[in-house]
Amino acid sequence: MTETKLSIKDLTKRYAAGLEPAVDRLNMEVEEGHLVALLGPSGCGKTTTLRMVAGLMDPTAGSIMVDGKEITHTPVNKRGMGMVFQSYALFPHMNVEQNVAFGLQMRQTPKSEQKKRVAAALDMVQLGHLGKRQTKELSGGQQQRIALARALVVEPTLLLLDEPLSNLDAKLRETMRSEIRSIQQRTRATTLFVTHDQDEALDMADRIAVMNGGLIEQFGSPTEVYERPRTHFVANFIGQANFLTARVGADTGAAPVGERYYKIDVDGFGQFGAVGVPGLTGSTHELVIRPHRLNVSLHPGVVGPESIAGTIERVSYTGDALAVAVRVGEKSLQAQLLTSSGDLPRAGETAYLSWVAEDAYLLPAPAKGLPE
Amino acid sequence: MRATIKGKIAAVAASTVAILTLSACGGGSGSSAGDSPTSGEVNLIAYSGVWQDQYTAAVIEPFKAKYPNIKINYASKRSSAEMLSALQGQKNNPATDVAIMDNSVSTTGNNQGLFEKIDTTSVPNLANVPEKFRDKDGYGPVAMLDAVGLLYDTATFPKAPESWKVLWDPAYAGKINVNAPPSLLGLSLTAITSKMEGEDYTKGIDKAVARLKEMAPGVQTFAPNPDEYQNVITGQTVLGLGQNARGQFYSDQSNKKMGVTFPKEGTVYQINTINLVKDAPHSAAAKTFVDYALSAEAQTAFAKALFYAPSVSNAELPADVKNRVVPTDGSLNIVPLDVEFLSSARDKWTDTWKRQIITK
Amino acid sequence: MTLLQNKIPPATHRGIEEGVLERAAGKRNRRTYLALLIPGLLGLLVSFVFPLAYMIRMSFNKGAPDGVIIETFTLETYIQPLTDPYYWRVTLDTFQMGVTVGVLCVLVSYPVALFLARSTSKYRGLLIAVAIAPLLTSAVVRTYGWMVILGTNGLVNSSLEGMGLITEPLKLTNNMTGVTIGLVEIFMPYAILAMISGFGRLNRQLEEAAGSLGASKFKVFTRVTLPLSLPGLLTAFLLVFVLAISTFITPRLLGGGSVQVLATEIYDQTTGLLNWPFAAALSVILLVLFGVIIAVYQRLTKKIGG
Ligand SMILES: Nc1ncnc2c1ncn2[C@@H]1O[C@H](COP(=O)(O)OP(=O)(O)OP(=O)(O)O)[C@@H](O)[C@H]1O
Ligand SMILES: [Mg+2]
Repeated sequence: MTETKLSIKDLTKRYAAGLEPAVDRLNMEVEEGHLVALLGPSGCGKTTTLRMVAGLMDPTAGSIMVDGKEITHTPVNKRGMGMVFQSYALFPHMNVEQNVAFGLQMRQTPKSEQKKRVAAALDMVQLGHLGKRQTKELSGGQQQRIALARALVVEPTLLLLDEPLSNLDAKLRETMRSEIRSIQQRTRATTLFVTHDQDEALDMADRIAVMNGGLIEQFGSPTEVYERPRTHFVANFIGQANFLTARVGADTGAAPVGERYYKIDVDGFGQFGAVGVPGLTGSTHELVIRPHRLNVSLHPGVVGPESIAGTIERVSYTGDALAVAVRVGEKSLQAQLLTSSGDLPRAGETAYLSWVAEDAYLLPAPAKGLPE
Repeated sequence: MRATIKGKIAAVAASTVAILTLSACGGGSGSSAGDSPTSGEVNLIAYSGVWQDQYTAAVIEPFKAKYPNIKINYASKRSSAEMLSALQGQKNNPATDVAIMDNSVSTTGNNQGLFEKIDTTSVPNLANVPEKFRDKDGYGPVAMLDAVGLLYDTATFPKAPESWKVLWDPAYAGKINVNAPPSLLGLSLTAITSKMEGEDYTKGIDKAVARLKEMAPGVQTFAPNPDEYQNVITGQTVLGLGQNARGQFYSDQSNKKMGVTFPKEGTVYQINTINLVKDAPHSAAAKTFVDYALSAEAQTAFAKALFYAPSVSNAELPADVKNRVVPTDGSLNIVPLDVEFLSSARDKWTDTWKRQIITK
Repeated sequence: MTLLQNKIPPATHRGIEEGVLERAAGKRNRRTYLALLIPGLLGLLVSFVFPLAYMIRMSFNKGAPDGVIIETFTLETYIQPLTDPYYWRVTLDTFQMGVTVGVLCVLVSYPVALFLARSTSKYRGLLIAVAIAPLLTSAVVRTYGWMVILGTNGLVNSSLEGMGLITEPLKLTNNMTGVTIGLVEIFMPYAILAMISGFGRLNRQLEEAAGSLGASKFKVFTRVTLPLSLPGLLTAFLLVFVLAISTFITPRLLGGGSVQVLATEIYDQTTGLLNWPFAAALSVILLVLFGVIIAVYQRLTKKIGG
């Protein structure tokens, strides 16, 4: 177990007295060297959180600790963090080198060392040859890299990035994603990264904090938040998900990592298997099944003993995969199949859906508004 | 690009100002519809402010009552020089009929051929104007007289100062207002000072300049605003140069907070003439107006209203008005400031004040 | 534009024909633009070019006493002021007043403009309106206001006397001090507006970035805020300078005849002494002074604007 670098306790921000808090008693611990993505829909409080950590904004309540030291009220310029803004915020009246050297100048680093470190930082972002350029003579991606170099050259205690890729085109975004990730891994800079792009978060982060309405709904590794979402919101926000309401029956035995298998009853469609935390028997829970974990067959009995029959509404072919929408009663369930040369389902046909117990996850909290 | 546009804006702004100062030129247009001795209209050019108010009430309104078919259009100017400038601009196409202005300026106008001669056939009341108040060549006669006076704060001076020398008294330094030339007040003070120094100001004013230089540091303003009278009335200053007529008027207005007096060393007349513009568009009606302006009735009314001395011999003033208008019977010590001389000295004296007397 | 698109030739000979067409369209466009410019140009001709030409022509005439203008072509009106130390002093004073007023006005307006430019308050629009509201009253009225405030018995003197700080009233009007105070206040709204529009490159994020890189508030100001607001400051200074050296109302009313600048001199020459040719020559000299300043300004903006 590594050290805790950043620890946030009950952090709250209320912009104005009457308003709902933008960040509401948020708690988070970040390990040294980790890249943590703050992921959530627009307006959920990501930027607000990041700005409080950076010291650009005073929290209404709560505390922020870095390396075990309380910094909640330390002014921004004393925090030693490096920040990259969505618009990069490069100083337009300075050239590239001057921009990168700025933080070192503020720290009164000796001139000769400044020079060396600026050169090294520019080399790291592969822009060593552009030192004398004016910032407005750079492309978006180059500006982005300079901003990164400027933040990293001071060897910040924390690197804070607020949607650093959102101004770039799709192609460049992919490149920069892996570049940032590799630079981060090389420098081992503990990083907080704001994004509302789940792919970005899943791809880059060691940990993802999924935020919603000023709260963290779940904090965990990319696989955790994907495979074992704690709430309906997380399951829905990260990747695609089918939701079914299930009455949990008998505990049928131990599953890996302390979970249990259950027999469940899905709204009159019959008995199926599912997995979930211990002690769910007897209550009603939401069942989450990812589209590509849903088996689709045109013949009953082929996919397993129990299946749900439905009508194929729509089939969309994307080359690698086939997305199938199946209507079951009121609901439309999404399934994803790998294409093969076999017989393709067609709209209007009857399909039979089933899954294996490991792929159907029962959300830990009982479903609301349903009879227990 | 941005810089160029801003540059252009600045250039435009700059020259606009320069031009604005010059754009006082150009006159109105005269309509010559229906001109007879008893109908039509008269375009009058004369002083602004309180002068306009009082002249309108004392002379123009009664005139209109008497000649309901003659309309008077009053164009007001702050100074005679501005009137002259306007008339010069209209020289080839006169829009003005009558001008009431300082005689030094009207003489210039006479010389420049801006005005018409006047005789008793069309203006019978001219007969009542004594010879000394008529123009020797027959141009516009004197319409009213006034003189330069010393304004004083009655609280500071329970008794009116007797000498101009009070202006040099260190006790009042910083509390004096003096209108510098080209104002007639400043020109007059120059002549009076010169005379006090025993100098002939028609030859040179070196001694006067030396004396005025001693006074200058104690002068609060050389261009009092809103005017010389208000400066004393509001207490900004306690002494000032002003005209007797307006001084008397404002003395009453201010409940005698300010007084005006003629110091013993003498003073300079300020004389206004009434002039008929050459080729005036409404010559007939204009003559009717000039005649009325020279009537005993109009002259008395205006003397009562603004304390100008009448220029006609048949105007009878009540005693309390008579002893407040400037005496024209030779009883007042007058420093003569010849019109022809003034026209040559005005520029020079103005320059001298600017360069040598006015302190920064 | 639609015409052009209909005529786009097949891809094979695009190269040549497209160029020809573009040029033709360019010509047509230019003609349209020129046509659109005509009303404006005419207006400018009547209201600006003609009077300016008239003024320049007038400056080569000869002025005689009592407003007589002798039509001629002489440089006398120029030689006279240029060889007269008095007019050099007036010009220098004018320049000095412009610089002083410009600098002071920029100094006092800067914090206000900075605040307004950076404000995120919902009342920002209202605050800007309040800051420039003085423009709704004329400079004459505001100048009279200052006469009342700065006069011997004015607000400033009576409160200072009331506090026992002075025994004799300070001379705050009828001199350059009064004119400077009046002009600085009168031009503040212009300076504020010019600055706000000139602060284009300034934004909060740059200051935050500097702060996050370790810059103290003071360093943020000197290293980021100030350099980025320089173009705005310079524009505001130029504007105020130009307005200050060309205004005559305030020097006239608050100067009490003791403040002699080119504008008051031009006024005296026109309305007092009726010497139009000389006044015109002084106006041309004032214009040349503007020209010089604007040239310097452009050099400077090119340097700092980048
Ligand atoms: N200055 C402010 N004053 C008042 N409310 C604010 C302010 N800034 C943000 N908010 C509110 O606080 C909430 C959180 O805002 P925040 O900027 O942190 O969202 P975000 O998660 O970064 O969203 P986005 O993805 O759109 O950037 C939002 O409801 C927003 O409207
Ligand atoms: Mg945000």
